[in-house]
Amino acid sequence: MPRVLVADDSETILLLLRTRLEMEGYEVVTAADGQEVMDAIHAAGETGAPDLLLLDAMMPRKSGIEALRELRAEGVDTPALIVSAHQDAGDAGSPSELEVSGYVTKPIDFERLFAEIDHLTGG
Amino acid sequence: MLTGLAVIGVARFLQQRQDFEDAIARSYEIEIAARNRLAEDRNPAVARTTIAAQQRDRTELRSDIDGETRDTALLVGAGLIAGLTGAALLFSGLIASMRRPLEELVEASGRLAGGDLTARVKVGGLSETATLGAAFNEMADELQRRAGERDRLDRMRDEFVLTASHELRSPLTSVQGFAELLMLERDQLTPKQADTVEIIIDNTRHLVRLLNDLLDLARSDAGRLTIKPVPTEASTLIADAVRTMRGQTEAGGQVISEEVEDGLPEIVVDPDRIRQVLVNLLTNAHEYCPERASIRVAATRVGAEVKISVTDDGPGIPEEQLAHIFERFTRGDAGLTQRVGGTGLGLAISKSLVELHGGRIGAESEPGQGSSFHMLLPAVG
Repeated sequence: MPRVLVADDSETILLLLRTRLEMEGYEVVTAADGQEVMDAIHAAGETGAPDLLLLDAMMPRKSGIEALRELRAEGVDTPALIVSAHQDAGDAGSPSELEVSGYVTKPIDFERLFAEIDHLTGG
Repeated sequence: MLTGLAVIGVARFLQQRQDFEDAIARSYEIEIAARNRLAEDRNPAVARTTIAAQQRDRTELRSDIDGETRDTALLVGAGLIAGLTGAALLFSGLIASMRRPLEELVEASGRLAGGDLTARVKVGGLSETATLGAAFNEMADELQRRAGERDRLDRMRDEFVLTASHELRSPLTSVQGFAELLMLERDQLTPKQADTVEIIIDNTRHLVRLLNDLLDLARSDAGRLTIKPVPTEASTLIADAVRTMRGQTEAGGQVISEEVEDGLPEIVVDPDRIRQVLVNLLTNAHEYCPERASIRVAATRVGAEVKISVTDDGPGIPEEQLAHIFERFTRGDAGLTQRVGGTGLGLAISKSLVELHGGRIGAESEPGQGSSFHMLLPAVG
């Protein structure tokens, strides 16, 4: 099953995402901010690399957007979904070099999220 | 000044006239006395001379006063004409000195009314126009100050709505998410527990809708509701919206049918926003109609526009409610159904969204027969 790296600064949301994703059969790695996302990816190497990133747009220390920008600069091309509290997260528009695969708004529509993950990971 | 001269002239003339009358009267008295003496034959030679002298004097006096009258009339006439001319000159001078400041005021008022709060006038000229100009500038200063204050408050409000929406969304995500999680294990819950969780989920969804609607309205008010119109198939939008609704309508035995005219041109709309409007119209039809109602979504070409309508055979809307149906927090009577979970903002937002596309939205209803909501959207080409 696809491995999903989930990042959110709220422990509760992380728990919710982990639980739902694991119930769906995904393998889940969590991070509390952008820096942890970077660390997790650097530590994972080739074999443990996630198939998908599910990143909260706004996090302290380093946001999901910032982490993604650095990862893209490093040549990491893992598909990424940005989670945002704002209804129109996509409206502001992220620079195309971030190659964001999609936006997920809170509260999360899990059925749609699962379909999106399956689509992006070829599952 | 000349008018003053005329007045003095007239006064002098009146005095001379009085003197003339007195002199004439005195002359007659002398003549009559002389005639009496002549009749009594006392110094008749002297009396005759006196009578002749008096008659000559009176003739002279009369000719003098005639000249005096002519002169005075001339003087008065000239005085009056000069006075009038002076007044006219003075008046036109006054008007000229008032006209420029007034014209400037009119022009500045126009600019101010048109929204240019920096419009001011030069203060000067007559004291009246200067006062008016100063008052105008003072009013414009105050307007500008208040507008600045209002803009600042508007920005604060928008910021507040955005922040509140953001902050509320995270806990709502948790509440809804965990409640849904519980429902996934429904078979392990007692029926009462399951019902309770369902209520939590319903209400959380309602809160989310309210939050989204308030956010949309705040943006709309701030002129920040943005759309990205692209050529879109109306049939795709309708199919999407109907699919979103199908779960809810089928549960109540309601039937949604789609009717899209053949060869319908594409519409130039923001698909997400028009889908939102369609879902809103369908949700209203669903919530206000009884079970087994039928809801029809149709799309037809009307001139350079495409008309998309949502028609139901539900209870309809009374005329007095229909008139205010697109206003905020206007909601139909939920008498027939307990399902009505709207925020009272949906149609107001729909109207803003459709108008943002350069389209129109409207509603017709025949109480007891059903309701029909339609929007006219620009077609490609």
